[in-house]
Amino acid sequence: MAEIGHGGKEIVERILDPKEAPAKVRGLKQVPVRSQIANEVIGIAYGFFCPLTGFMGKEDLDAVVKKMRLKDGTIWSIPILFDLSDQELSDYGIKEGDTICLTYHDNPMAIFEIREIYSYDKEAMCQSIFGTAESKHPGCARTYAYKDKFLGGDITLVTPPKINPPFDPYFIPPLEMRKRFREKGWQRIVAHQTRNVPHTGHEWLMKGAWFQTYAELPIEKPLVGVLVNAIIGEKRKGDYIDEAIILTQDELRKSGYFGDHNHMTSLTFWDMRYAGPKEAIFHAALRTNLGLTHHMYGRDHAGVGTYYGPYDAHHLLATVQDELNITPVYSMNWLYCPHCGEITSEGLCNHKSEWQKFSGTLIRSIVEDGVKPPRLIFRPEVFDLVMECAEKYGFGSPFVTDEYLAKRTPVFTIPPLAG
Amino acid sequence: MAEEKYPINIWVNEERYEKLKEAGLAHMCEEMLAGMKVIRVYANAAQRDKILKVFPTAKFDSATTKSIELLPRQVKDKIFDIVVERKSVDVLDEFLSAY
Repeated sequence: MAEIGHGGKEIVERILDPKEAPAKVRGLKQVPVRSQIANEVIGIAYGFFCPLTGFMGKEDLDAVVKKMRLKDGTIWSIPILFDLSDQELSDYGIKEGDTICLTYHDNPMAIFEIREIYSYDKEAMCQSIFGTAESKHPGCARTYAYKDKFLGGDITLVTPPKINPPFDPYFIPPLEMRKRFREKGWQRIVAHQTRNVPHTGHEWLMKGAWFQTYAELPIEKPLVGVLVNAIIGEKRKGDYIDEAIILTQDELRKSGYFGDHNHMTSLTFWDMRYAGPKEAIFHAALRTNLGLTHHMYGRDHAGVGTYYGPYDAHHLLATVQDELNITPVYSMNWLYCPHCGEITSEGLCNHKSEWQKFSGTLIRSIVEDGVKPPRLIFRPEVFDLVMECAEKYGFGSPFVTDEYLAKRTPVFTIPPLAG
Repeated sequence: MAEEKYPINIWVNEERYEKLKEAGLAHMCEEMLAGMKVIRVYANAAQRDKILKVFPTAKFDSATTKSIELLPRQVKDKIFDIVVERKSVDVLDEFLSAY
């Protein structure tokens, strides 16, 4: 059975048979790639980025910038680009029509069939994608850091990544994910996008979205699941460490706040662009490919600073809803009301003067101060696991430090090519 | 119009509470979130901007709490010690004079 992904296109894994791989890469120029590109190679090869089969050529990029579409008309909002400098092109002797081998951690990772080499106005790209050309916007900074030439063409993985513990159970590519959903019998699955350790506000966002997604379905047996899809990519100092994020999200299931019948945790390799509304559209495509039917969008989805209005993402989604195969589930903020004595939604509770709002940032501050929050705010199993992760993976801290960045075990490695 | 103030939340753990009690300052704690105690030290806009510049991991939570968060623990310990010493939460000028 064909698995249909974003844009109505079939999801096809672009991975070479291990027996063919050594012969295919023999004699190819080898070009090392940085972690962002390696993450995107995985995204392309496993179908997370379907219908993309490689890095974008100029026509696709131009259509994304000007129309939020690929050249064939499929909705697409974020450029997926491979960059090199003129000097590198000259040093490697790369030209259009060449096939090269991309390496990561000194081992062959993928074959790149270079269809075209081109340049593009980065400022225009920033203005369109991020709504600003300011270099202090992290997405613009990433765009301006691209070298001057872009290479478009198809990607084929030659060596699948080895996902290192404790992340290995959580790397579930689209075709495998869809199989697991069928095994669970879920008819609807709602995505929870995260880069955070969950507090009870997050937990209730998921629970609220689960209710919304269930809607008119019969309740005799579990038909709806929440998929936590954690974004794993470049880290900034002060973020929670990746190990704490992925393990604590799953801890909500293991400790019974959810169960196997309605909750799963997984990861996607992606370096956030903080493109707000445009990133929300990208998330819709990504999660469609993973087999999800619904997607949670809260306040200022994937935003940064004050660049976007709190509901800009919702407004942009509404303009293309007919062309997406995933239903947005809009979430209001959850907060603690001392009068109710519970976590509640700002759309429900009317004790407004008593509300105690909290955020992931506030909770991080509390943890940083060495205070264990009450279970109404932060589940004790989650808190204990955060502290365990600090000792086991974080060199004493649950937050990213210079030492963590320098010494951590990578989330994935590329093993040497067999044979 | 009154000058806008931006709180730094110093969460009161047992160790900090003991120090406050010893100094007769336990009454300075406020209950802020589900019974958790906090001492709030207020910054004006200029002090807020200086704090965010001097301590790059700090963040102004503009969306939810309008407070300055994620100051390193040792920095908050230093502010807390000045609060206890001066028996006042109006200590940021003194704290920031070292930076």
